[in-house]
Amino acid sequence: MARRIPLRVSNNKAYVWDIDDIAALRADHHICGVLIGTLPHLSQQNVFLGVPLLLMPEEVVLLVDKHLAVLVDDPTAHRHPSVDALRHWNAERAAAAKHQIGAAETKEASEKAAKLSMSEEAIRKRREREERRAAAARAKALAEGEDGNAPEASGSGSRAAPSAPFEQRPSTPSAQATPAYTITLPGSSSDLQWYSSEGCTYESVADAQAAGIWTYPADLHERAKCRVFRDLWEKGNFMGGGVKFGGDFLVYPGDPMRYHSHFVATVIDSPVSTIKPMEIVAHGRLGTATKKAHLFCGWDDEKQEVSYFSIEWAGFG
Amino acid sequence: MDDTLERPTSISKPVDLVDDGEDEQSSGEEDQGPDWTKIPSVSTARPFIPKRGEKDFEPTAAGGSGLQRHVLDRSRHAMLEALSAPRTISSKSVSYAVWYPDIARAHVTMSRGIHFTNMGHSVARTTSVEDSKKFAKRLELLPEETLYLVERGAMLCWKASDLVLTDAPGLDDIDGVPMTVQHAFAEMIGTADLTLEQYQVFAYLKRLGYVVTRTKPPNPEYPVPSLIEPPKKRRVLSCFGRVLQLVQWPLQLLLGLVSRFDWWRPIRLSCLQISDTRSLFRSLRFLPGGHDVPLHVKVSPRVTSPYEIFYNVYKPSTPFKKTAPPPPDYSVVVVNARTTPMPTLTELAALFGALPELPPPLPRKRQSFAQHKADATAPPPASTSQTTHPPSSLVQRLFPWAFPSRASPEPVRNANPFLSLKTGKKMVVIAAVDAGMTSFFRFGEGVFTEWPMA
Repeated sequence: MARRIPLRVSNNKAYVWDIDDIAALRADHHICGVLIGTLPHLSQQNVFLGVPLLLMPEEVVLLVDKHLAVLVDDPTAHRHPSVDALRHWNAERAAAAKHQIGAAETKEASEKAAKLSMSEEAIRKRREREERRAAAARAKALAEGEDGNAPEASGSGSRAAPSAPFEQRPSTPSAQATPAYTITLPGSSSDLQWYSSEGCTYESVADAQAAGIWTYPADLHERAKCRVFRDLWEKGNFMGGGVKFGGDFLVYPGDPMRYHSHFVATVIDSPVSTIKPMEIVAHGRLGTATKKAHLFCGWDDEKQEVSYFSIEWAGFG
Repeated sequence: MDDTLERPTSISKPVDLVDDGEDEQSSGEEDQGPDWTKIPSVSTARPFIPKRGEKDFEPTAAGGSGLQRHVLDRSRHAMLEALSAPRTISSKSVSYAVWYPDIARAHVTMSRGIHFTNMGHSVARTTSVEDSKKFAKRLELLPEETLYLVERGAMLCWKASDLVLTDAPGLDDIDGVPMTVQHAFAEMIGTADLTLEQYQVFAYLKRLGYVVTRTKPPNPEYPVPSLIEPPKKRRVLSCFGRVLQLVQWPLQLLLGLVSRFDWWRPIRLSCLQISDTRSLFRSLRFLPGGHDVPLHVKVSPRVTSPYEIFYNVYKPSTPFKKTAPPPPDYSVVVVNARTTPMPTLTELAALFGALPELPPPLPRKRQSFAQHKADATAPPPASTSQTTHPPSSLVQRLFPWAFPSRASPEPVRNANPFLSLKTGKKMVVIAAVDAGMTSFFRFGEGVFTEWPMA
């Protein structure tokens, strides 16, 4: 793999901002991350989210250790732009606006003639339609047996509402001294002239830690999590966060987009740590209820290897 | 359900009920990821919220069957397509702001749209223009508000810059360095006590339409709800308890016994009425119980707890006035699920100590839709029987304790206490965020002492 994917690090979190990088991570490296941004055109829901892609710290450590990605200190990479760079940016913006306005004007001119002949009839039809609707509303209200006042109020309301656009209609062309155009707000910084990752790119976790932009993994538990993650990933699994299922990771046989996970994995720091029977019962019960097996992943720091035990409800009796 | 069977009506079951059932089923399976192929394309005029999709159990050997690979590619393509949609907005509805990193606020220079009805607060700032100090009020946004508007594509944010821009040619209508969403993420998180976790919870709730404000005012001008008066009784009691603790523990025990337990009349006369089990149990109680009693836990020298209420959240339906916010509908604590253990007893007690008591939950109505409608249209039942009491006799008035109290209809009628116990009197929402995934938990302060089980 020639190109290493730049992971933008700020506040100890690693983001991916470029769509191509997100695609490459998913398809080539089996790394999914979590989308956390608002989708601009579907901004009032939480099912589908957009860029940035936030990576789990284990994913970051894995990618950097495997030389698939580099860490970029994002706040530093945003330099102070020169006046020239700003002027260039502004000129591009103005040109885009001008282009749009020009296109809109030619389009409008060509449509205007057609519209003009249509408008008389359209207005008449619209009025008829509204009257019919108001009558229907009145009839409906009467049928529902409401007070005498209510239909009157609703009738006047429905008449008032459509009249507003009528009044606005003629005003829009007059306000076209500064016609509306579409602004595209910039998302990723990669295209900016004053964005440069030179001098603040780190090729190993240790370098980034030394530079103070990254801390993970800091202790044995975090190290164990990284190694377990890496081991399962090397076995060809896709990995996800397991916080909703009471574990550290979810282990998927294929892309989580299309396949259910088979295991909920819990990382155990050392082969001699105790597991209480209650935990086994709880994990067995929870895993079975969600059609998964629970996976205990024991990390042996001396031997540098992982051992796995899966737990399922046996279902006798 | 039985009620509907008993009273058959011609009106069919409302459709919403059926829908609700479906929703419950699908949200139970959180593993069910979003199906990006169902996402409406950008060109669709009216966006709708698509549902989660179906998934396979596992790919077949050798990287999946042809169909599986095809479907996966289609899903991936749909996702990338949706992700690469640009943030576009009309020049007539875009807002502008200038971000000042030194104070971690964004000054809104052009506010458009409905977002500003519940975001931003006005602050008087001194601006020194040509050596004359001007004192002017301006609209400022907190970092989370700024970031949300920027990433939503509703606002263009400039970063205040030292460069002199006004007289440079070709730089008109520029107020600083334009910030990309990426730049805003890198720069704004970490300022004004905002962590990424807190921002994610903010954005999550905002996307659902909630109004979210900070609980602790980040600056004195920030409007907060007029002080929720803490339950007075509790204050007094806890102070009293503390004083007693200081004096001596045996004395406290003695006092408690004396004040609570009347040795000459172990069961008071009024409690002879078997129906009033509540006061009977209360008079039998030796040791003080319940949440009014201060904790006998040695609080370690106060390390700042992660369990602090960070956001006040208002339902979309709550009338919200920005300058005088009402008491919040929910109080939300944000914690990092990776580093924060479960709250300790003292942490929970501190959380609940700051929260107001909630009214008891309404008993769940097991009423069919048809019945509900019938009730609404029918005239209310004659309420005269409730207001007029039979005149009480003189004996009754002189010795009220000897008679069962009739005037106070206690909520004992609510026969099933489990809903109340489950809901509790106080409630706090804890959002645990783990690397981008947010889970909301509701902690209620159950009041078992107030609900005798017998």
